[in-house]
Amino acid sequence: MKKTIIVTLVVGMMTMFSANAQKAMDKFMVQVDGLGCPFCAYGLEKKFKEFKGIKNVKIDIETGDFSFKYPAEKALTMEAVEKQVEKAGYTPVTSKIERANGEVEESKGAMLSDSSERTITKKMMVAGNCGMCEARISKAAKSVNGVSEISWNKDTKMMEVSFDTAATSLSQIEMAIAKAGHDTKKHKAKKGTYNELPACCHYERITK
Amino acid sequence: MSCQLVVITNALLNNIMKDLYILVTVIVLFCSCKQEEVPKEWKLATVVQLEGINPIGITELDGKLWLSDGDHNRLVQINENGVIEKTIDSLDRPMHIDADKVSIFIPQYGKDNVAVFKNGTLEDLFLNDSLDAPAGVAVYRSERAIADFYNNRILFNNGKDWISFGEEGKKQGEFYYPTDVQITDSLIWVADAYNNRIQVFDKQGNFVQMMGQNQKMNAATGIYVSDNEVFITDFENDRVLIFDKDGNLRQTLRDEIEKPTDMIIIQETLYIINYRNGKLSSYILNPIDNSMS
Repeated sequence: MKKTIIVTLVVGMMTMFSANAQKAMDKFMVQVDGLGCPFCAYGLEKKFKEFKGIKNVKIDIETGDFSFKYPAEKALTMEAVEKQVEKAGYTPVTSKIERANGEVEESKGAMLSDSSERTITKKMMVAGNCGMCEARISKAAKSVNGVSEISWNKDTKMMEVSFDTAATSLSQIEMAIAKAGHDTKKHKAKKGTYNELPACCHYERITK
Repeated sequence: MSCQLVVITNALLNNIMKDLYILVTVIVLFCSCKQEEVPKEWKLATVVQLEGINPIGITELDGKLWLSDGDHNRLVQINENGVIEKTIDSLDRPMHIDADKVSIFIPQYGKDNVAVFKNGTLEDLFLNDSLDAPAGVAVYRSERAIADFYNNRILFNNGKDWISFGEEGKKQGEFYYPTDVQITDSLIWVADAYNNRIQVFDKQGNFVQMMGQNQKMNAATGIYVSDNEVFITDFENDRVLIFDKDGNLRQTLRDEIEKPTDMIIIQETLYIINYRNGKLSSYILNPIDNSMS
């Protein structure tokens, strides 16, 4: 009888502990751009699932909605999540965290600047292959203060960018793009950054 | 007497000449018939819009088309109008499928296995090896092959033993993320996706041939090999390239093709599936129209 009570208590405590552990999960929702290639998109989802402690990884390829749960005790920050998502090859646009304690954090992502009378439009070559490249290149250019418009054509590899000459320069925009992993004629991506791009993004490098 | 001999000889000669004439006429007619074989090319015949399906792989079982719908983690059997007749649910990112007479072989990219659907039930294909994102499977008689995406290799079973060949790289015999594979009588054909080429191997895994490497493909993701032709999907460039068995480019298909992922020929119709727009484009062979040239 005594033994039965002890076993029941232990099982009960374990169930409670397990339920609490399940509750104490933060939910992360990231809107990602450029999920054009299923081979890479599914692969990145798969690689994300392998991170220790991560649960309920879901990616809707059509909408770009990417969500997962992570233990609240790890206090994963928005910045760390976006960095991890970028490291996995995706380009986060907006992010939202629903903490286990009910708090909500949101990140709206990079915004384009307004155009002014000093705004000019230039064309330049940016190396890339696919929709995922396009998302990454666009985000990198957008992150430069003064950029008001941007478009990149994956077939011609040409980018058209409008920017305020008082706020930035074409060279600065090229540097931001190279830092994200994409070669321009004047600025090359670092080898390590290039190597970390997903397979479908491994474009033919620009040589002088 | 001598006059009679001459007449007989002439008659014999006439008969021989007559037979010869008939024989020559038959030979000439036969040769000219062969010469008149009209060269043909694939032309778009029909397009079917598939509702809510983003197809990646295509195969045929019992005369019915089956598609893998990776985005929705399922396989669907469709009719000629693209309407779903049967569904196999609860899969994990099914990719380039294949079938024999009774089973469908389903590589599950997210689950690192190959499932076999037979008589309404799913079972795992037994392997003494671990896969990392299988993207394609091929079945030929008792032989099996698997494109093992993240391991950059092909696994091949000759009906008895498994062998593995390939590693990450750009040299011949190396792969950069293989996504599809097909077995024929004596060869194994691989869609070497991000090396943007086709590679061909013998059944011991020795490199035989490479093709398409000069066609500026951008993600050569799906392969199909018929008796005379090799078809490859050029995913990002919205094309299907057709080569002869020596690797010479015969034709490029673009009509109603957008992010193509796979194809199959059934009863002289070439079916091409398009991932992004969910269309099933069918092509048939027609005589080449030279009037425009």
